[in-house]
This record gives sequence, structure tokens and C-alpha cells, in this order.
Amino acid sequence: MDIAKTISDFIIDKFEIGDDPDFNNDVHLFNEGFVDSFGAVEIVAFVEDTFNIKITQKDITLYPMNTVNEIAAVVESKL
Amino acid sequence: MIRHYTSCVELLDRAAELYGGDIAFTDAEGEISYTELQHRAKALAAALIANAETGRTKPVMVYLPKSIRSIVTFMGSMYAASPYVPMDYNVPVARFAATAENLRPCAVVTDAAGKAKLEAAGLELTILVYDELTESGAEAQAVETTDLDPAYIMYTSGSTGTPKGVTISHRAVLDYTKWLVDTFDITRGSVLGMQSAFHFDNSVFDMYLSLYLGCRTVIIPEQLFMYPEMLFDYLNEQKISVIFWVPTVMISAANSGVLEKVKSEHLKLILFAGEVMPIRQLNMWRAAYPDCTFVNMYGPTEATDIVLYYIVDREYAAGETLPIGIPCANMKAIILNENNELCAPGEQGELCIGGSGIAMGYWNAPEITERAFIRNPLNNKYRDRIYRTGDLVYEAEDGNIIFLGRADSQIKLRGNRIELGDIEAAAAAMDNIKSCCAMFDHAKEEIYLFLETDASIVPRKFNMELKKLIPAYMAPQKIITMPAFPHTPSGKIDRQGLKKQFMED
Repeated sequence: MDIAKTISDFIIDKFEIGDDPDFNNDVHLFNEGFVDSFGAVEIVAFVEDTFNIKITQKDITLYPMNTVNEIAAVVESKL
Repeated sequence: MIRHYTSCVELLDRAAELYGGDIAFTDAEGEISYTELQHRAKALAAALIANAETGRTKPVMVYLPKSIRSIVTFMGSMYAASPYVPMDYNVPVARFAATAENLRPCAVVTDAAGKAKLEAAGLELTILVYDELTESGAEAQAVETTDLDPAYIMYTSGSTGTPKGVTISHRAVLDYTKWLVDTFDITRGSVLGMQSAFHFDNSVFDMYLSLYLGCRTVIIPEQLFMYPEMLFDYLNEQKISVIFWVPTVMISAANSGVLEKVKSEHLKLILFAGEVMPIRQLNMWRAAYPDCTFVNMYGPTEATDIVLYYIVDREYAAGETLPIGIPCANMKAIILNENNELCAPGEQGELCIGGSGIAMGYWNAPEITERAFIRNPLNNKYRDRIYRTGDLVYEAEDGNIIFLGRADSQIKLRGNRIELGDIEAAAAAMDNIKSCCAMFDHAKEEIYLFLETDASIVPRKFNMELKKLIPAYMAPQKIITMPAFPHTPSGKIDRQGLKKQFMED
């Protein structure tokens, strides 16, 4: 399973990004306005359910989770 | 106990003497004791003195993520007698350059990534890397300063697009901190949960209270504020008892439902400042924490954080306004009408403030300093400087001051102070823009940017370009383009017309 693709498909659908050419797996989701700050919780809930993992407070504070690839890296480290 | 401190680093020297091995600060990476903080700061001061021309007129820009390293650098700069300048780590390079041009710093202290970013932009500055500065370990002797020398310079949004460097003396910080200690129930055993970034004045609260009292400050990792439940778990884990947050953060915590879900067991004192606190969310907090003291505070960066405070002493109903209260011990507030006369109670006027917390002025900007910091027109007997806040207020019957709004186009959005002219200056610099105007919809809390242009503009793309010039929090929520602006009979842009057509309030 392509972790990054699963996450990016969810984000594109959930936050109505469509085929925006500026969206990619390395773009800062929050600073560039693709996802609002409340969306962060939804993304974490999605990856926890989908990959059956637990994202902890340590993950959030120690690793950046601002791009699709950064989120995918945290997920991968837990599988 | 009477002690006459003349410098902010004397607070650290005394804390190292009295509380030595106690933990002073905690961040995501670890923690530091008072002794270690003093040692590292003095080592950094020695390296600064060796590598740059330090001194009271030679500021040090601190371009580091929100962490203990920032505090070490602030203290190190002051040991070398240089005022420190906390920079937003996410600031666009163009804005960093504009700030450096006004500031003329003796050095920038940053990390490897920050150095690469600044060098790639071709900035000709003395750029020093933090890790290399603290390596040697040889301590500097503190260079003597007086309490009237600048301790730090904080940049705020300026109406013409040039950031203004608010310059704060050691005396202002020392008096403010002493007032906090005398007024609130904060002791050596308290644990402070710091929300503010260092380039905002609210960070002065946590940092200097720790140095003054020996209480620990937890630098809360910024990302945690996006995850309310984890944030509250963290408050519990760290045993945080005092929080001083901007209302935006408190509002989103209340709206997320976390207040009912996770009880933060140690909280005792909850303070907020930076924007208006809505009654609905305040009441949600008060219901969740009935035994806590809540304090509404008010103050511009030009007054070292706080000038007025109001301890919430009764229930407020929706529609009521929470007062901003009465002045701190070292400060005074006067309300002047358009003719520079004192307003009677109940009469609306501009809030002007004076006292030892008032800034020395704007760095390298005598003209705007003279406009904002004036001689008290009610006092012709002695030199009495006051700062015109531009905030409209009135004094209620009980003596508390009530905030009404701004007299100009400055706004507060999610706790950030923004001059709409700053956004206009950035937008006007873009290609194909004939004219522009920025306005704030108070009802929806959104910035509207109107562009007069013949080009077809994709709002999000335009914003990405804009964010190379201005911080992301200033970027407009709505961008509306038109080939020609409506004009008033006098030939100005018809702002009221645009407002009526496109905005709610």
C-alpha cells in the first residue's frame, strides 16, 4: 500500500483540493492554506484508523507533520 | 526585600545563585537548569564578543525555532550588552531583509538551516550558528549596562509596509516583572505554560517570571496547539499551573470540546491578552475551571506587554463586554479626546499610556517615534512621555476601562497585530496590480484584499506570492479583483462602497 497516496487522496477529497497544481506531497498543508488548523486533528484520526496505529504527543512534538510525506514518514515508522 | 536590579541578566545571575540546579525551562528537546543557562549564555556572549562588534547600539538578531536555544541567545546577547531581537522563524526572507536594513544588527544567531536560507538570499550580515557559539565553553564577563539601555527590540507590523522595531529598556522589563510577582499568586512552585512565540511580547511574561521567581517555564511545542487533547494531556504531564495565552487559542480549545473531555488538574491561574475574549468561550472555561482565577489583560508591544488588567470577578452574560480594567502599578492610563483634553467618565476617547514600561521608541525611526510617543498634553510641569495607542476606550462608572475598537486601520486577527497598510504595500508590489485596498470584516474575522487589475488572478497563487513578502498570518482570506475600483467624489477609492457590496461588517 502506498501510504503517501492514501493520505494525499484523503486530504484532496476531505479538504476539497481538486486538481490544484500547487498541491503535492511536500507542500506545507497548513501554511499554504490547503488545510485549516482544525483539519490537523481529522488527518491524525484518519491515519490512526486507516493504518491501525496511535499517533502520540511525542510524535507531534518531535517530528514535523506538515506535509503529506512528513505524515507518511511518521506512519511508516509505526507499521 | 529591596533589590535594585539594573539589567535583566542580573535576574539570571541571582536565579543561578539561589536556584542553581533547578529546572528553569523545558522544551520539546529537553530542559535546562538556571546554572546551565547562565553558563551557556555567558559562553555564547564570549563567542559573540569575539565574532561581532557587540554593544548597546548593536543588536543581535535571533533567528531560531521556539526553543531553549532562543533564551540562551537572548541572555548571551544581553551579557554582551547587545539588545536581542527575536525573529519569527517562519518570516519571509524579504521581510527579514527589510528588518535587518532598519536594524543594522552586529550579528544574526541562527541554526544551520537558517544560515543556508539567509545566505541563499544573499544577505550581507554576520551570520553565526548557535551550536558553534556555545561549543567553546569559555565564559564572558558581563558587559556593564544601565537600566535605561535597550534589552530587546521587537518588530511589529507598520502601516507603510516597513516593520517597526519597538525598543524596550531593561527597566521596563524589570518593573513589569516585579508588578506581576506582586499582583498574582505565582510562586517558585508554579509551572508556567508558555504559548507565545518569542517575537510576540506575551513571551516576556513567562520568561522573566521564571528568572525572577525560580519557577519553571514549559515552552509548549507550537504544533500541540493544533491537537487540543494532546495539548491538555501535555499540560497535565508537565503539571502546568499558570497559562497566559491569546484568546484565539483559548477559543479553539473551548470550541473543540476538550474542556469537558480532559481536565487539566494543576491549573490555577489563567490569563489572556492580545485581542478581545468572547464571553461565550470565557464562560466555557470558567465552567470547566471554577476554582481558577481568570484575568483579562491589555497592552501593546510598545508597553512591554501589559498596561491594564481586570481580574474577572463576576459572571458575564453574552453581549456584555469584559473590561480591560485598571493600570498596573508602574503604569498609568489617560483617555484623551480629539482636542487632547481629558475625557469625562463614560466619554469615548483614545487610550494614552505612560509609565516605566513605555518603549524607548522605534529603532532607527525618529519620525514615527515622535508621532506615537508624545509629551503628555495635560502636564506641562515635567517631561512626561505617553504613547498614543490608537485604541478607542471609555472609563466605566466603576473605574474600569472598556475597549471599543481601533481609531485606525490596525486590526487584531487570531492575536496577531496587523496594519492593513502593510498588506496593501506588499500587494501593490506585485505584477499587474494597478491599485489595491485591504479591509477587515469584523463579523467574519476575515481580511479582504481588493485588487484593481486587468490580469486574471488565482487567489491562492497570489497569496503564495504575497507570503514571500509578509508573514503568512497577514495573508488575506478573500481576494476580490475588478478592472476598475469605484471612487468617491473626491477621487479616493470608495472603501465604504466596496464594503457594502462584498462584506458583512
